[in-house]
Amino acid sequence: MAQTLTKAGIVDYIYERTDKNRAEIKDLVESILEIMKQSIKKDHALLVSGFGKFEAYDKQARKGRNPQTSETITLPPRKVVVFRLSRKFRAELNPS
Amino acid sequence: MNKSELIKALAEQKKLHVDESTKIVSAFVDSIKEALVRGDRVEIRGFGSFKIKDYEGYVGRNPKTGDVVHVQPKKLPFFRPGKELKEFINS
Repeated sequence: MAQTLTKAGIVDYIYERTDKNRAEIKDLVESILEIMKQSIKKDHALLVSGFGKFEAYDKQARKGRNPQTSETITLPPRKVVVFRLSRKFRAELNPS
Repeated sequence: MNKSELIKALAEQKKLHVDESTKIVSAFVDSIKEALVRGDRVEIRGFGSFKIKDYEGYVGRNPKTGDVVHVQPKKLPFFRPGKELKEFINS
């Protein structure tokens, strides 16, 4: 059965491997995520070696349609975030 | 930004020694990687979620040479940004 790793699980994992208490680790995990978000926004890219790269790129405005009312609307340009996995992590996921 | 800059930024912000910051960030990344290798989902509130997709192998062709190639089954992770991250990036 596939399980889901959440923030609590990440905190536990780090707790078992360091000498900090859970509250400190929880706070550090929040800081890491905040720095990651800032970096993706500011640099449009965040490279985590051995894992992958988060990239923010621009999407042009495009015409869309509300499927319920068939009304045509213009979707505004926006930024989207994609994750590209590293070769190393790809190899770890697919051992030959 | 790359991983070592992330480690430095965390160390400065939280007044940690770089060695300690390295340990924390590495464990953070490892916890996510290990979960995905097991085939588990990862869901980080405010940031996003990862899930593994399984692809079956197939027999393909090299379009340039026409050679038959056997593509092995593979697992690839997919990331879906969370609502907060999407809003943050677009604000």
